Amino acid sequence: MMDELELLKKDWQKKEAQHPKLSFDEIYGMIKKKSSSTVKWIFYISIIEFVFWAVLNLFSYTKESLELEKTWHIYEITTTLTIINYIVLIYFIYKFYSNYKLISTTESSKKLMKNILNVKRTVSQYVWFNIGIFVAYLMVNLYGNLNYGENSKKIAEAASQAGNETLFWIIFTVMFLLFITIILLLIWFFYKLLYGILLNRLRKNYSELKKLEV
Amino acid sequence: MNKELEHKFVTELENNQNIVHKVCSLYTTNREAHNDLFQEITIQLWKAYPKFRGDSKFSTWMYRVALNTAITLYRKSKKSIKTQDFDSVIYRIKTDEYDATEEKQLQLMYKAVRQLGDIDKALVFLYLEDKDYSEISETLGISEVNARVKMNRVKNKLRTILNP
Repeated sequence: MMDELELLKKDWQKKEAQHPKLSFDEIYGMIKKKSSSTVKWIFYISIIEFVFWAVLNLFSYTKESLELEKTWHIYEITTTLTIINYIVLIYFIYKFYSNYKLISTTESSKKLMKNILNVKRTVSQYVWFNIGIFVAYLMVNLYGNLNYGENSKKIAEAASQAGNETLFWIIFTVMFLLFITIILLLIWFFYKLLYGILLNRLRKNYSELKKLEV
Repeated sequence: MNKELEHKFVTELENNQNIVHKVCSLYTTNREAHNDLFQEITIQLWKAYPKFRGDSKFSTWMYRVALNTAITLYRKSKKSIKTQDFDSVIYRIKTDEYDATEEKQLQLMYKAVRQLGDIDKALVFLYLEDKDYSEISETLGISEVNARVKMNRVKNKLRTILNP
C-alpha cells in the first residue's frame, strides 16, 4: 500500500505541468463575479425567513385587531408579547450579523464548519422562537374569543346542547391542539428540507472531524 | 489603491494557480465543475485577501482557503457524478517509458481516491503535496496526532477499496 501511495505521489507531482493555465485576464474576470457558496445561501435564506416572520407580524396587526383585543380583554397580554417579540428580534438581528462576520475561509476547516453550523443554529432558534410566540398569540386570542367574543355564546350553547359538556370541551381542545400540531409539523418539515439539503454534507464532514477528537 | 491590490492578487494567483487546479481536479469530475470550483475558490481567495497579512506563505494560505471552499462552501452540482470520460482523458500518463501495469495501478488508485469522503480526500491531497502533519493539522483543525491516526485510517480505507 505504501508503495502504491508513493507511486501516486510521484505521478501526482509529475502531472503538475498538465493542469490548465489561466491568463491574468481570465483570473481578473473571475474576481468580479459573484459567489454561489453555501454560506451565502444560508445567509439569504435566514434573511428571507426573518423578513417573512416580520411581515407576518406586521400585516396581521390592524386597527380592527386592536379594537378586538380591547373588547376581548387581552390587550395587555398581547402588547406585552409584542414588546418581548421586538426585543428578541433585535437580539437576533445582532446575532445573525455577528455570526456571519465570524465566518472566515482562512480558518481551519473544522472551525469554519462549526461557525456555519452556528449560523444554522441561530436561524433554528429564531424559527422556534417565532413559532412559540405565534402559538402564544393563538392561545391568548382563543381565550379572549371564548370568553368575550361574538361566537362565545354560540359555542357555549353548542356545548350545553351537546348533552355531555365535558366531552364537548375535550373534543374542542383536542381539535385545537391537533390544528396547532399540524401547522408546527408543516413548518418543521419545510425547514428540515430547506437546510437539510444545504447542510447535510457539511454536517457529515464536521462530525467526521469531531469524531477524531474523542 | 484597490486597482493596485487587484493587480497584486491576480498576479500572485496566476503564479500559484496550480494549487487551485489540483484541488479542483480532486473534488470535481468534469471540466465544467472544475471551472465552477476554480471560480468559487478564486472569489473566496479574493474576499479573504485583504486579511492576508503575509504571516504565512501565499501558497500555504491558498491551500487552506481552497480546501475550505471545496470541503465546506462549494455546492456540488448533480452533473458531476458522470465521471468516466474526463478521468480517462486527464489521468492518462504521457511518459516515454510506458508501463501498462503501472498505469493500470495508478488509474485504480485515482479511482479509489475519488471514492473517499471530502475530509479523507483533503488528507490524501495534502499528503500528495508533501505537506507535513503540522500543516495538515492546522489546515483541518485537528491535532497532529489525530491527523496521523486519520491518515492511517485513510490508507486502510484505500486498501479496502483496492482489494475488496
